Amino acid sequence: MQLAAMSLCLKADELKAWEKPFPENHEDLIAIQERLRKILPEAKKAVVAIESGGGAGSGVIVSEDGIVLTAAHVIGKRGKRVKVRLPDGKRVNAITLGGSEISDAGMAEITDEGGWPVAPMAARGSSKIGDWCFALGHPGGFDKERGIIVRLGRIIAKEDETIQTDSRLLGGDSGGPLFDFNGRVIGIHSRISKKDDQNFHAPIEAFHANWKSFREEKLLTQSSLREGGFLGVGCEETEDGLKVIEVVEDSVAKKARFRVGDIIVKVNGDFIDTREELTIAIATTGPGKSVIIDYRRGEKEMTAKVKLGKRPEFEEESEE
Amino acid sequence: MNSSVFLSRLVFGLCAGLLISNAIHAEDLSASQRLNGANTRKAFAKTKQAAFASTVRLIRNGKLITHGTIVSKEGLLLTKASACVGAREAVLADGQSYPVRIRRRDEKTDLALLQIMAKDKSFEPVQWSSDILPKEGGWMVSADPKLKGLKVGVNSGTPRAIKREGGVIGVILGRDGNATGGIAIAEVVPRAAGATAGLKKGDVVTKVNGKSVKRREQVIELVGSHDPGDVVSIEVIRDERSFSYQVTLGHRSVTFEMFNRNLQMSGPVSKRKDNFPMIIQHDLPLPPEAMGGPVLDINGKAVGLNMARVDRVTTYALTAKVAQESLKTLNR
Repeated sequence: MQLAAMSLCLKADELKAWEKPFPENHEDLIAIQERLRKILPEAKKAVVAIESGGGAGSGVIVSEDGIVLTAAHVIGKRGKRVKVRLPDGKRVNAITLGGSEISDAGMAEITDEGGWPVAPMAARGSSKIGDWCFALGHPGGFDKERGIIVRLGRIIAKEDETIQTDSRLLGGDSGGPLFDFNGRVIGIHSRISKKDDQNFHAPIEAFHANWKSFREEKLLTQSSLREGGFLGVGCEETEDGLKVIEVVEDSVAKKARFRVGDIIVKVNGDFIDTREELTIAIATTGPGKSVIIDYRRGEKEMTAKVKLGKRPEFEEESEE
Repeated sequence: MNSSVFLSRLVFGLCAGLLISNAIHAEDLSASQRLNGANTRKAFAKTKQAAFASTVRLIRNGKLITHGTIVSKEGLLLTKASACVGAREAVLADGQSYPVRIRRRDEKTDLALLQIMAKDKSFEPVQWSSDILPKEGGWMVSADPKLKGLKVGVNSGTPRAIKREGGVIGVILGRDGNATGGIAIAEVVPRAAGATAGLKKGDVVTKVNGKSVKRREQVIELVGSHDPGDVVSIEVIRDERSFSYQVTLGHRSVTFEMFNRNLQMSGPVSKRKDNFPMIIQHDLPLPPEAMGGPVLDINGKAVGLNMARVDRVTTYALTAKVAQESLKTLNR
């Protein structure tokens, strides 16, 4: 009994204040404050504002050669010339690359010469519900005197294509980074909800999964999804891979004899792990064009060449 | 599974934030563990005591109009001048209520000095922080509007002065040269100062306070040199006749609120939120009626006095130094 109590004490000692279910006392609060103050200056260095036409958003540089993560709704179009403003107010030229309106992850690239300050990206799956985090950005637009604004919060929910936090956000923050307490980018600000303590971020996982297609300027928007190719499978992300849980009647997937339970492995030779990756691969290929899909059925490795169909018009959508 | 369920999976998130929010709820972090949740706030017990001792609720006709900060044992209060008009009583955290009298106002800081009328009563004044420009990232704590709990957040930007924002008529002017003899009014903001005074779309502005104007910039400059609440005379030509109107100027941010999506998403904001000598900015979720109270650091020392709810991520607090200097002037 005594032993158990002691080991419990030890374990509690090892936990950092921000790793506990909630701060328990004054000392925990001081530890959280000190931690935030320690990682904040470094995190702010790579935060930028993105200016295109009348609109403005935020972003974060993640590679020395100038890859900027932002929101898909901030870039709008691919290959568009925009200005990126560094924390000191200096404007540099950039061009928009790809993105996806499913997660709202978007990418741009600084085209001027120079080595840029970078923020480290968190690895896949390294953030979870309850993690302390802080939002950085330019709410309401760039303001040199004010600088980059920090807001504290915690992850209150996480799904495949979105993170929700109680960090407060405002227009202009869109595209700005959400940092964890290790100083790594875990998300990109996407949407605000009516309640000011329930805001949405594109998870860093969406960037990891779609890195190649974003760099190749593939941009999935609502209209490109409507007009793009259609396969006709509904999927779920599982431990085994991307699992088919629905095959739409009269779709090309049905004709190609896909079945519930099949695991999609590759499209045109690229590995696919997430629903968003699959949707981008299919929808950015036009109807009538063919894709090669590698998939697994039980132990069997299979390949199908599928000529994509057109997205059927669902009645549920007509009310929009 | 029918096709509509399938559809909602596939178009997940594409339509609006609402779709996403519907999809999330399974494993939410419990409300008590969130930044402003009950468990988190419990850790602030020490700070809470300080906040509750030095914050009062100022009441007019039974309604909370703003908070105030106790600054002396004798019951002197500092509060937001433009929000405390007509304050009749001060209610403390323990529920005790006392009549209050206004002593003086400081237009420069928008602070007012009030006296709690309570003989032989000793109050616990706020303890000011000696930190002149508190570092960002630090905890910030204030009492909630009802003085029942706390709101917490962080110091979120660089301390700075907030420039003066001049008054506005509430019209959108046409381009130079679009009208002869002046500048045409292209739009009138409904219910704003100009509309209330009688200005109409199509009127051609010829004079501001008796001075002839030829260009847009001149009108904006002349009007903007006056404060919200000032009366400015505007002369216009309508149907080849000349009219003169007395316009009581409005606040820029409030007047053009309907055009500003960020403000629409922010809920009620303070009327005066400009022209402060030095502020710190924080992210506490406080409504306008919770201005005037102190904002404390983690040790319960007041680093500032909440002065303006600006938008859903921003509250300005006058720094402790500015508040103390203003107090000296007011109490002279």
